[in-house]
Amino acid sequence: MRLTSHPQSVRGLAVAGLAATFVAMIATGDAGHLGAIALAPWTGLLGLELGVVGGTAVGVVATGLYSGAAEIAGGPTGPLELSVRLVALVAVGAAAGAAGGRVASSERAYRAVASLQTALLDSTLDGICLTDARGNALLSNAPLRRISVEMGLPPTGTVPERLLAIADRTTEPQRYRERMLALAREPDVVSVDEFELKDSGRVFRGYTAPVASVEGGAGGGRIWTLREVTADRELERLRDAFVAAVSHELRTPLTSISGFLEMLADEEHELGETGRGYLGIIRRSTARLLRIVEDLLLVAQIEADRLELQLGPADLREIAAATVEAAGPAAEDKGVALELLPGGPCPLEGDAHRLGQVLDNLVANAIKFTDAGGAVQVAVVHDGAWARATVSDTGVGIPTDEQGQLFSRFFRASTATRRAVPGTGLGLVIARAIVEGHGGGIALESVEGEGTRVTVALPGQSGGA
Amino acid sequence: MRRVLVAEPDSDLSVLLERQIERLGYQPVRDTPDGPPPDVDAVVLEPASAVGHSLLRRFGDAVPPVVCFSIYPREAGLEPPGSVAYLVKPASFAKLGATLQLLFAA
Repeated sequence: MRLTSHPQSVRGLAVAGLAATFVAMIATGDAGHLGAIALAPWTGLLGLELGVVGGTAVGVVATGLYSGAAEIAGGPTGPLELSVRLVALVAVGAAAGAAGGRVASSERAYRAVASLQTALLDSTLDGICLTDARGNALLSNAPLRRISVEMGLPPTGTVPERLLAIADRTTEPQRYRERMLALAREPDVVSVDEFELKDSGRVFRGYTAPVASVEGGAGGGRIWTLREVTADRELERLRDAFVAAVSHELRTPLTSISGFLEMLADEEHELGETGRGYLGIIRRSTARLLRIVEDLLLVAQIEADRLELQLGPADLREIAAATVEAAGPAAEDKGVALELLPGGPCPLEGDAHRLGQVLDNLVANAIKFTDAGGAVQVAVVHDGAWARATVSDTGVGIPTDEQGQLFSRFFRASTATRRAVPGTGLGLVIARAIVEGHGGGIALESVEGEGTRVTVALPGQSGGA
Repeated sequence: MRRVLVAEPDSDLSVLLERQIERLGYQPVRDTPDGPPPDVDAVVLEPASAVGHSLLRRFGDAVPPVVCFSIYPREAGLEPPGSVAYLVKPASFAKLGATLQLLFAA
C-alpha cells in the first residue's frame, strides 16, 4: 500500500522515529507515560503506509520497544501497564492503517480516472491545450505536442506568443498576425480560423474559446484546439476542379441539344400532338440542365473569388417586378398566390442581371416549398441607406437545426429531400455570394410548418421611396 | 456569298454550326487539315481545342476574323489573335447570326 509518492522515505522516517524514541527512553532513563506517547505518532505514520494489518503489527512492535526500554531504563512493566500500552499502540497503528487504506484507495481511483482522461485526450485527432489567463499552458495532449513540433512552434513562451512567432511562415501573415493579436486583446472571443504554412502547404484549423473556470475557479483561461485539414482542402480543390471541368464539358453537348431543338422548331408543325409534347419536355429539361451547369460554373467562380459583377444604375423594385412576372405562371400552376407589394422606386448601383438571379432563386424556392392555397409575397423598400427586398412565404419552413447550413454548398434541407423537391443546393450559396459581392447581406428566418422569410439588404442610393 | 470556316472539335456540334451558318445565308467551309488553310471571310472557332490552335498556326499572319465559340468564359490567354467576338456555349444561334452580321457589315 502506497500513500505518498515517496513511500520509502516515509517508512524510513517512521522507523527512525521509533528507534530514536526507544534510544531516548533508555538515554533519559524514563520509559514512563511520555515514552509510550512518543511512540504513538511514529506508529501511526508507519501504519498509514502499511495498512490495517501492518499498522497492528507496528503497534505490537512499538509495545515491545516500550517494554524493552522499560526493562533497561526502568518503568512500568507490569502485565496491566503493558496491556494498556499494547492496546493503545495497536489501536493507533490499526486506525492509521485503515485511514491510509481509504486514502490510498481514493488515490488509486483518482489515478485511474486521470489515466483514462489522458488516454482520451491523447487519442483524439485534434491537438488540445488549456491555458491560464496569461496564456501559459496548463495542459496539452500528445497530438498538440506533435503538431507543435511539426509546425516548428518555438518550445517556450505563452501559447499566443508561440503561435504569433510563425506568422511570417503562413500564406497570409498580416491576417494571421491580426487574428492572433485580436485574440490577445479580446479574452472573451470565440474564434475558428484556418491558416496555411507556406513552406509545407499544410493547412490547419484552429479553434479557441474562453474557459469559464481554470485554476480552481479563477477564470480567464482558454482552450485551444488545432486540427490539420490539408487533406480536406485538397479534396475540396479536386472536387471543385472536377465539377468545373465536367460543367465546362457539358456545354458542348448542351449546345448541340439546344441548337438542334432550335432547328426542329421550323419543322415542329409537322409533328403530331404527342411529338410536340415530347419536344416541349426536351426543351424544359434542356433549360433545366443549362441552369444546373450555369449554377455549377458560377459556384466554381465564387469559390475561386472570381465572381464578376457588371455594376450600373439599377432599381431593385424593377428587378423584383420582373421576377414576379416571370414566376407568375409557375405560381399559378401550383395554386400559390404570388404578389409584389406596392411601393416606390428603389435605386441602387448593382448588377441587375445577377440581382435578378438572386430574386428569381428566392421566389422560385418560396413557390416550390409552399403548398396550394398558400401565398408568396415580395416586398421592396428603401430603408435609409439600404435597399431591401423580402420574400416571404407560408410554406413548409425549415427545421431550426438545419438553418445554419442552408448557405453551404450542395446542402438540401430535409423538407426538400422528404418532398422530393428538385434542386442542387447551390441557389442560396450563389445568392449570398452575389449579395455580398454588392456589399450587402442576406438573412433568413423560418419556422417549420409556418413559413420562411428571406431578406436581402443592399447598399441603396438616394431617391428611394 | 461570305464564307465561314468552322473549327469545332465536336463532330455533332460542327455539323450543327455548319447548318446554322447555311441558314444564316453564308457558305460553311470545311477545313482539310493536311492542305493549306481555306480562303474564308471568318472563322467560328473553339479556342480551347487542338483543332483551333492547329488551324490558327496554319493561317500564320493572315488570320481572318475569328469568332470564338467556347465552353470556357472569356479569359486572358485563351482568346487567340484575330479574335473579334467571344461567345460562350451554349449561346443561341440568333446571337451567333447577329455577331456574324455585325462583323460582315463592318
